[in-house]
Amino acid sequence: MNLDDDVKNIFFDTFPLLSESDFDWEKTQNKYDDWDSFAQLNLITLAEAKFGIIFSDDEITSINSAKTLLDIIKSKK
Amino acid sequence: MNTIDNFLTDSCKSNPQKLALIDDNSKFTFLELEEKVKKFSSFLNQFPEKSVISLLFDNTSEFVISYLGIINSGCIAHLIPTGISQSNLQNQIISAQPKLVLSSNSHFSKINDMELENLEKLKFSEVKEISSDTRTLSPNDYAYLIYTSGTTSTPKGVPITHSSCDFSTKNIAKTLQYSKNDIDLLPLPLSHSFGLGCLHTSLYVGSTLVLQKNSNTTDILNSIMKYNVTTLATVPSTLSTITSNSSTDSLDPLSNLRLIITNSTFFPPETIRKLKSILKTGIVATYYGLTEASRSTFMIFDDEEKIESVGMPSEGIQIKIQNDSNDDKIGEICIKGSNVIDNYWKKEYSENKSDEWLKTGDLGRFDEDGFLYILGRVDDLINISGEKVYPQEIERIVKVLSGIDEVVAIPMKHKSFGEVVKLFVKKSVNSEITSSDILTHCIKNLERFKVPAKIEFVEDFPRTDYGKIKRFMLKE
Repeated sequence: MNLDDDVKNIFFDTFPLLSESDFDWEKTQNKYDDWDSFAQLNLITLAEAKFGIIFSDDEITSINSAKTLLDIIKSKK
Repeated sequence: MNTIDNFLTDSCKSNPQKLALIDDNSKFTFLELEEKVKKFSSFLNQFPEKSVISLLFDNTSEFVISYLGIINSGCIAHLIPTGISQSNLQNQIISAQPKLVLSSNSHFSKINDMELENLEKLKFSEVKEISSDTRTLSPNDYAYLIYTSGTTSTPKGVPITHSSCDFSTKNIAKTLQYSKNDIDLLPLPLSHSFGLGCLHTSLYVGSTLVLQKNSNTTDILNSIMKYNVTTLATVPSTLSTITSNSSTDSLDPLSNLRLIITNSTFFPPETIRKLKSILKTGIVATYYGLTEASRSTFMIFDDEEKIESVGMPSEGIQIKIQNDSNDDKIGEICIKGSNVIDNYWKKEYSENKSDEWLKTGDLGRFDEDGFLYILGRVDDLINISGEKVYPQEIERIVKVLSGIDEVVAIPMKHKSFGEVVKLFVKKSVNSEITSSDILTHCIKNLERFKVPAKIEFVEDFPRTDYGKIKRFMLKE
């Protein structure tokens, strides 16, 4: 499995109501019904666990879409 | 009102030739046991009444003879768990200030290694009869002293009076219908309140007590068959091990038991169901209690809906839930009754009692029928943006996953939410479970704010001398 798929799966795990057809790399936080501050925490924790990385505070606040998460992970790999 | 020595003398009068005690190497009738105890106490009469005598023994007849000998001599028996660390042993001895430390031969090196001045130490085999004085005991005298396990803080000395012990013993015997016809198997340490309560009950009703040194499940099943045991007292983890690791046929010895009694540590419902399905007519029961307030509730499992409850308060015992909010039904469990201690040793920790109510530090709630449920410890609550989270709820969800032996959830400081959940996980041998597996499972099964923000795998947990996890040390 490649990095893109891994990040997509993190989104599907964190947002159980998200379907394959609804997924969009550019879709931002305000377009998700259930992306609140705790969902953000779950997303970050899961990504950190999956990739063995730690996000800085600035990186955490800048993650507002699947694409921004993917870009930050790529920059840390 | 009885004193503990009466339990033995009364049973001896009724059934002197009946078998009272069996251990790995010996058997005693009530008459033989009483004679041994009298001889032993004659030696201890050289010490002033109310002196503390410390005991360090396995589950053997030597323990029982020494303990009852101390009681008979009007002294206070300080009971030390055999697995105690050297530093904790030293702390207990300094606090209890015994006139003498008695030990089995096998544990003598532990007390001999202590560097304390003027501490008299003796092996059981060195005790000789020296006088025939008898002493009169008062129900309000302290009978024994046990230090709490220190799961949540520093161990506290808990002195128990004869009257409190008498109350609790009669409570156990009546609720669980112990009788002289019982043969009671005890694979629990006598130095702990649970095991000691079983000894008192056997002596009081005049049943036969079979002592086992450990909780080896094969030994337990063999002893049940060998001695035609009718009651088994042990901790939930032993019962879970027995039911999960043994084939159905090998569990057959359990089927004729009249009673399986355990204590208020989390008792997995699937273990209760399995045990109930094995027993032909017997009952499965648990209790809620502390060393400071022995057997405050009892639960006999006959209602599936109440399977997670620890039961209702025993007769003569009051329990209330104390909290800051009137609407919240969850709060600290407080206990009042004849089973509750007057004071801790040396009158320390007086803040734990208020108007005769003992503040247990346990969180609980009553249901509409008056059944009590334990939710954890007050100090363990995790406060996430004002939402109170019980660690046990998270731990139970995570434990469902295979590949995990033990799990502990604690609060971790967080700049936005105040606190979040941190999880410590001890994996099973050869387990390949990852933190993302656990997180994914948590996201599916818990509300978002309860999902751990950090997971740490550990080889093992810091533990007390009784093997309980020291949660407070994980928070440091």
